[in-house]
Amino acid sequence: MTVEQNFVALDQFPAGMRVLAVDDDQTCLKILETLLRRCHYHVTTTNQAQKALELLRENKNKFDLVISDVDMPDMDGFKLLELVGLEMDLPVIMLSAHSDPKYVMKGVTHGACDYLLKPVRIEELKNIWQHVVRSRFDKNRGSNNNNNVGEKRDGSGNEGVGNSDQNNGRANKKRKDQYNEDEDEERDDNDDSSTQKKQRVVWTVELHKKFVAAVNQLGYEKAMPKKILDLMNVEKLTRENVASHLQKFRLYLKRISGVTNQQAIMANSDLHFLQMTSSLNGLDGFHHRPTTVGSGQFHGGTPGMRPFPSNGILGRLNSPSGIGVRNLSSPPAGMFLKNQNDLGKFHHVSSLPLNHSDGGNILQGLPMPLEFDQLQTNNSNNIRNMNNNNKSIAGSSMAFPSFSTQQNSLIRAPNNNLVVLEGHPQASPSGFPGHQINKRVEHWSNAVSSSTLPPPQTSNSIHHQFDVSPLPHSRPDPLEWNNVSSSYSIPFCDSAASTLSPPALDTTNPGAFSRNTDFDSNANVQPGVFYDSLQMRQSGNYGPTTDAAMLSSNPKEGFVVGQQKLQSGGFMVADAGSLDDIVNSTMKQEQSQGELSGGDMGYGGFSSLRTCI
Amino acid sequence: MDALISQLQRQFRDYTISLYQQDFLDDQFTELKKLQDDGSPDFVAEVLSLFFEDCVKLISNMARALDQTTGAVDFNTVGASVHQLKGSSSSVGAKRVKALCVSFKDFCEAQNFQGCVRCLQQVDIEYKTLKTKLQDLFNLEKQIIQAGGIVPQVDIN
Repeated sequence: MTVEQNFVALDQFPAGMRVLAVDDDQTCLKILETLLRRCHYHVTTTNQAQKALELLRENKNKFDLVISDVDMPDMDGFKLLELVGLEMDLPVIMLSAHSDPKYVMKGVTHGACDYLLKPVRIEELKNIWQHVVRSRFDKNRGSNNNNNVGEKRDGSGNEGVGNSDQNNGRANKKRKDQYNEDEDEERDDNDDSSTQKKQRVVWTVELHKKFVAAVNQLGYEKAMPKKILDLMNVEKLTRENVASHLQKFRLYLKRISGVTNQQAIMANSDLHFLQMTSSLNGLDGFHHRPTTVGSGQFHGGTPGMRPFPSNGILGRLNSPSGIGVRNLSSPPAGMFLKNQNDLGKFHHVSSLPLNHSDGGNILQGLPMPLEFDQLQTNNSNNIRNMNNNNKSIAGSSMAFPSFSTQQNSLIRAPNNNLVVLEGHPQASPSGFPGHQINKRVEHWSNAVSSSTLPPPQTSNSIHHQFDVSPLPHSRPDPLEWNNVSSSYSIPFCDSAASTLSPPALDTTNPGAFSRNTDFDSNANVQPGVFYDSLQMRQSGNYGPTTDAAMLSSNPKEGFVVGQQKLQSGGFMVADAGSLDDIVNSTMKQEQSQGELSGGDMGYGGFSSLRTCI
Repeated sequence: MDALISQLQRQFRDYTISLYQQDFLDDQFTELKKLQDDGSPDFVAEVLSLFFEDCVKLISNMARALDQTTGAVDFNTVGASVHQLKGSSSSVGAKRVKALCVSFKDFCEAQNFQGCVRCLQQVDIEYKTLKTKLQDLFNLEKQIIQAGGIVPQVDIN
């Protein structure tokens, strides 16, 4: 889809949402594709995970969402999930016939934003767009913290929890504070509690070094946020800041190198980690709520979005692994990247009327971390806009606060409640190295200028990625597969039967059941073809059940052995599908409740989550 | 002509209902039918084609894996194929096939060779039976259309 098409499609979001579907089973893939098209999504399919990765890598902006099967021969679905999250930061939905909760758990811990059971129903697919919205929105929110909330309530949002008071040296309630904070769980707080104000902590290399030193000193396993905070002895850093940074750090280490190498990694990973975490702020938003979001509710600021606890927890469920896994923006952009992204996003948003349809616009504008072209063009505009919005701009931090201001004003657009925020620039925090800001700005501009966006490609060429090429794409006469077994007599009892004799065998259709001629095409089905080696030619009991006449008159004959099994099994199974769904959704709820009770580290539910990782 | 059409339609309806009642098909098949429209008039047949192809492939995989003459039986491979067959059969609404897959899977996990082999044979029979039945159904549809009628929507209750 070209860029222009993207914009057009935005207006009709969720229609036109670009989905990449991966499943090695061609039947399921075909059905999935059709279902998705029926939801008016734009679908690309492939039956190979490798191919999917290639497609994604080729152009990160090409897709909004990935749906992938779990069991695939060339790559484990969970692995694909991780890779996609790590490299492309796209929401991924898992699909499987396994209803076993441990698979669901695995999906969740690997960062899936949803887990669907086969057979997939269209109702479920109709809701998947919420994951796209949510992930984008949370990324934005990450950079804007509580600006929204605070501003939304008319600047009264300066009281907040203790940490924000600590950090907020300014009494001016209208100012936005500068501190960037890695805000996983706290972002949810912003959403729902109207008065919390989070400071943004910028985890500079120096700061991170202190952090790592403190962790090392305490011992990695024993490192607790409070102690780390004390050791670091950095003014205006709160325990929450440290806690969330620690969590990300841990996840990062686990992801990168496995538990045993942590020490080695810790020594060298500062910059890498920081680069990773710069974009991680947006990641806690994978709130695992597959079905309950209403259509108009994708803007997060409204209280109706979801109740905080369960959703927040579920978000956390996803986020730690999600954080570790997802969204590695390209190194040069480093820590700044997040803001850049937001910039780009917000710029788009700002140019659009503030209404619900912006949800889609925002999404498109936002999405991939590396929309450098947009950022590039937007940069100067943004600065101009921001300067307009800014009431005050601290000296050396000019670029930086202006970005955040931009974010402030724009983040609200999806909520449609946006009052253009009296942009209060986050002036250069005195407590944090101001000089770092300029460096980051440099990084950013370097990144912007040096990156080239690959030319948008139409995705038409990659439709129908069936590597197994069963059917020609032009519609074959589907009834031709009847011809292959023309030797079966048609089982109709009345005189009309004579009209039903199948037409002459048409062997020219390559797509139909030509392979089935392997089987003896007589009415007697002999298992013999495969089973010779098994020496199980018991065609007596199992054999001629496909005698059509027999079937029509009494279909149960000949199924003697099988039938009994089926009878008992069949009806049970009939319920299993729906049961699975119920279990699945119950599991999710249980998970959320379980997590809620587990908080002992001050993260809320993370402690129990940690054990899952 | 009309008499023929109504006769065919009646047959079609009765036959369809019987397929559901005998658990050859389930709701998922109904869902597939709903997806079929003027834009994709042969959707169901296409999907079922793919399904039957998959059956052939998977059954052959399973048979190979269950072949004792090449050494120890790899129940994992069998299980993987069964799992896939379960997924696709449930997606098309092939109720009996899916049910078989459930027991088949249990046998695989229990590493019950005899059970597996039996299931494999049954699966083979089942899918072929279903194929035949659906061929008949599609033939009926074709005939109705050729006779100038429309294929009735059958309400399964």
